[in-house]
Amino acid sequence: MRFLITSFSIMAITVLTEAQNGVASTTKKTFSRSTSVKIEIKADPEIIWALLTNGSDYSRWNSTIVSLTGDLTKGSKIELKSTLDLERTFKLKVKEMIPPLKMIWGDAMGKRTYTLIPKTQGFTIFSMNEKIGGLMFPLFANKIPSFDKSFEQFAADLKKEAEAISNTK
Amino acid sequence: MTDDKLTNEFENIRGHLKSYILRITASVEDTEDILQDTWIKASRNLNTFRGDASLKTWLFTIASNLAKNNLRATNRWTENVTDICKVAAMQNQQFFQEAMHIRATSPQGQFEIKEHIAFCFTCISKSLPLEQQICLLLKGVYDFKVTEIAQIIENTEAMVKYYLHTARTKMIHIFEDRCALIKKEGICHQCTELNGIFNPRQNAQEELVKIRMARDASTSDKEKLFDLRTEVVKGIDPFESNAAELQLHHLEHNRKVMEDYLKKNPD
Repeated sequence: MRFLITSFSIMAITVLTEAQNGVASTTKKTFSRSTSVKIEIKADPEIIWALLTNGSDYSRWNSTIVSLTGDLTKGSKIELKSTLDLERTFKLKVKEMIPPLKMIWGDAMGKRTYTLIPKTQGFTIFSMNEKIGGLMFPLFANKIPSFDKSFEQFAADLKKEAEAISNTK
Repeated sequence: MTDDKLTNEFENIRGHLKSYILRITASVEDTEDILQDTWIKASRNLNTFRGDASLKTWLFTIASNLAKNNLRATNRWTENVTDICKVAAMQNQQFFQEAMHIRATSPQGQFEIKEHIAFCFTCISKSLPLEQQICLLLKGVYDFKVTEIAQIIENTEAMVKYYLHTARTKMIHIFEDRCALIKKEGICHQCTELNGIFNPRQNAQEELVKIRMARDASTSDKEKLFDLRTEVVKGIDPFESNAAELQLHHLEHNRKVMEDYLKKNPD
């Protein structure tokens, strides 16, 4: 019995660690695809929020973003160029902003959600999810590259920058 | 808190307040106005001073709030300000005639490279968003702590850290790209060029060796070089130094050039 409890505890810790270790996962369905990444960052949500909501500053710290123009405020339109597809400019709308906890932007085909969960001792759990889909999705699903590596890099860059800021004396 | 204590503290920090406001507004006239308004507002509201911050922090808070409402402070310049202003200066004979006159006649008309380094820092820092410039100056030049800066700008410590880090990173990047004093490939040589004009008999290399930032350029990393640059700025009072009149004349010129430039290029 004791062995069983210990094993469950180890499994639970492992699952928790894996879920927050910055490794992306993708779930594919017939009409949609969803990619998520989650990472623990030793910084206040406010610092992470400042990084996520200052569009012109993205390319300085985030190696997956070539440029982001427009105001990151609710209802605003933004233009995003990502290293995933250098030829394309994504025209997106900021759909939801709950400072410093949640931001959603997207277009007709997809929705990206950023979530910050404050933890104790100055830690924050950052998660990012992008869901793309629709009735036409099966027709072009194979042409859309995997987001996994890009998401992992995004999370790693954010962690590095936010923790560097947090360590400012 | 008594009026006498306020008067004493204000006089003690007057020089710092004045140079701080100048570095934000780039205008001597507006600096004088804001400094005076700071004194008036502090005197009138002394009864509201609760003592949860130092008097110095409180006075800097008042000055910062007044500066934030000043058009010349909110005007943000471009990273290539020194290029734009150099072109304008080359086409402006009157500017050089006045500068040479100040150089020849004023006791505060000397040209020193370290003074120009501080002048350049002011111009480039005006390309940062205002909050970032304020945080950078308060921390790097006026030695305030993060907690005190949070009180001054009425924001959280987290945001102050964000502003400080971002401002510092941007400034380091700009100087890395531009400043020939710290990098051979740097495109800006204005301090040595101007030294050649104002001090034609002086050997610029001998002068540069006296400045630690230039001396250590090949052996120190960019972070350290930025700290050394900030030390140069910290050591100079733009109103009291031997080069004050010459540098203030130059700053007025650059401000007017940038105001014209921003009118023509609003985006």
